[in-house]
Amino acid sequence: MTSVALSPPAPDFKTIAPDNWKLAIAVGLVVSVLATLILPANAAFWVVGAMAAMVAASFVVNAYRRHYYGGLLVSPAIAVLFVMNIFPLLWSLGLSFFAYQSNQQTIRFVGLRNYQQLLTNDLKAPELWANLTNTALFVVLTVTAQMIVGFLLAVLFAKQFPLRKYLLILVLTPMMLSVVAVGVFFSYYYDPTFGLLSQVIKAWGGEQFILMSSKTGAVAGIVFADAWMWSPFVMLLVLAGLVSVPKYLYEAAAIDRVSGWRRFWTITFPYIRGLLMLALLFRTIEAFKMADLVILLTKGGNDTMTISYHVIRIANEQNKTSEGAALSYLLLFVVIVLTNLYLYIANRRSQGA
Amino acid sequence: MASSNNKPPAVSLDNVSKAYGRVRALKNLSFSVGEGQFFALFGPSSVGKTTTLRMISGLVIPDEGRVALHGADVTHAPIKSRGVSMVFQSFALYPHLTVYENFAYPLREAKVGSAEIDKRVKETASMLKLGHRLERKPNTLSGGEQQRVALGRSLIRRPNILLLDEPLTNLDAKLRHDMRAELKRLHRQFGMTIIYATPDELEALSMGEEIAVMRDGAVVQKGTPDELYERPIDTYVAAKIGAPHINLLQATVAENGQSLKTGFGSFALGRKLGAKAGDKVFMGVRPADLEIASPQSADLSAPVQLLEPLGDVTVVSLGEKSDNLRIVLPESRASEIKLGDRLPIKIDTHKIHVFSAADGLALR
Repeated sequence: MTSVALSPPAPDFKTIAPDNWKLAIAVGLVVSVLATLILPANAAFWVVGAMAAMVAASFVVNAYRRHYYGGLLVSPAIAVLFVMNIFPLLWSLGLSFFAYQSNQQTIRFVGLRNYQQLLTNDLKAPELWANLTNTALFVVLTVTAQMIVGFLLAVLFAKQFPLRKYLLILVLTPMMLSVVAVGVFFSYYYDPTFGLLSQVIKAWGGEQFILMSSKTGAVAGIVFADAWMWSPFVMLLVLAGLVSVPKYLYEAAAIDRVSGWRRFWTITFPYIRGLLMLALLFRTIEAFKMADLVILLTKGGNDTMTISYHVIRIANEQNKTSEGAALSYLLLFVVIVLTNLYLYIANRRSQGA
Repeated sequence: MASSNNKPPAVSLDNVSKAYGRVRALKNLSFSVGEGQFFALFGPSSVGKTTTLRMISGLVIPDEGRVALHGADVTHAPIKSRGVSMVFQSFALYPHLTVYENFAYPLREAKVGSAEIDKRVKETASMLKLGHRLERKPNTLSGGEQQRVALGRSLIRRPNILLLDEPLTNLDAKLRHDMRAELKRLHRQFGMTIIYATPDELEALSMGEEIAVMRDGAVVQKGTPDELYERPIDTYVAAKIGAPHINLLQATVAENGQSLKTGFGSFALGRKLGAKAGDKVFMGVRPADLEIASPQSADLSAPVQLLEPLGDVTVVSLGEKSDNLRIVLPESRASEIKLGDRLPIKIDTHKIHVFSAADGLALR
């Protein structure tokens, strides 16, 4: 309590002080607007950046002097979040309204032209359309596989059996691995010459097996790797629901001579429903962004390009930076719309039930 | 109490033991319950009442011993085959089902037609005055209503044997009183065997036709309320049964087992104890067996230490040191008494209980 009493009063708006954040914001805004209008773009960029840093510094000094230690402690996290996430997000949004290529010096404002181009011409191109349908295919297949396998694993691990704790750690490991490690592991696994899969098929009397030689095989390989990696995540969520079911409900059901499916749907399922829907949401969003495993396993060959991989290609490899940004924002829009639709339906159903 | 007919008992437990890890919940527990009896299982919490009920229902399999229902050994029989229903202390209502579905649940897999289910649910609901709550979820009901749903759910199947695990513990005093009457009425109506576990002596005495008093996972004494009250087997049962509690005074046997010497004086017993003079014993006398007498006919006199008014009666504690003697007086008498007054007391010597100080067992 004493520290609050000792903290100095907030400085007057007009006094120049390191903790006068109101003045800092005002000055920062004025200087930024002037710099953007007068100076060339690459100089204005640094001026605006310096102003943002000044405002941030005034916040920090103010928090220190007023003893807002909570704010002070989260400030590094906020700074990192801003620099690494929010700034690039806004920056790329800005870029999507310009004609810009990262390997050229010119930059030209084109308004909504990029979006217009994407939504009219590019979408008609069979290549981009194929990328979209591939993405949808992966979303449906990987999410279905993960939900089923994850759910079954959770049912298994909800029971008590010897070595359960150690097996649980083992089953959770794929989720903690780097995607690159998983991709490399599976590319060895699927390798036609040395891969385990091909070897096993040879041992059973078959010939050398090239999984990636057909689209079905390639998709199956990617879906399997993705399901292997992310089923434990679904399992973890469902398991949390399963263990939260009070034991006495099962005992009551036993006394009431109810078991099997009816017991599952009336007692167990209501406890895991919310978590299943959460898992579905998370995994669907992730699956929409699938690119890493495709890059590692097929490099988009055999018609396995996804839309995210396409974005990486046009933005990084073809240097069409602003088009990539525009396409990213279209995808973000789709995901946001779908997510909100899903949440809306989910909420309405849980309220109606 | 010996069963008058020769039908096998509805429930009989024979030398049953059960341990959870190192904790021995039940130790050689034996008792039997007659067909159609309202039987109370009485004892403080964690004495093994719940484990006993769970064993009868089949939720727990005993480590040793034998459980029989209607004369048939069911020790290892599945729950389904037992025809036993149970009301849990926590009610264990299905939170995501409506009251209607909670009632209907035990019938769903019993191949009962939906018209019959509907009829039975409505019957049960109106019997328990829950007709207007059928579409609600359990967590929107009051404690008393939840309790009645739990009861209805176990009654709807018309079980032969109904186990009630402290069903009234989670209710307030007024509701408890109403539900006691309700349970009695249901028992008369359906005539099933009821085993009722309770830590409340008033519930046990008022509801049980027979009572088993439990201690440390075993039955100490079984009998009708009167038997337990009149002839407690040891100090534990004597202290548990009867309110206010029995007075237990340290005493020494004198005159060749014919009288007792206590801090309040000597008392002739009018009978001969199977104990030597000088043996340490407890003298037990119920507050109701003490009365205020004229100073000439009094057996003892002692100063008033404490007055506890309970409405129409007052519990008066007499004594000077740690030894004290409680006596129950009607409010009209008690209002004349002040702390420190010496009261002349007469004891009904036929009703004095004597217990060995060594093991607490009654000496007769």
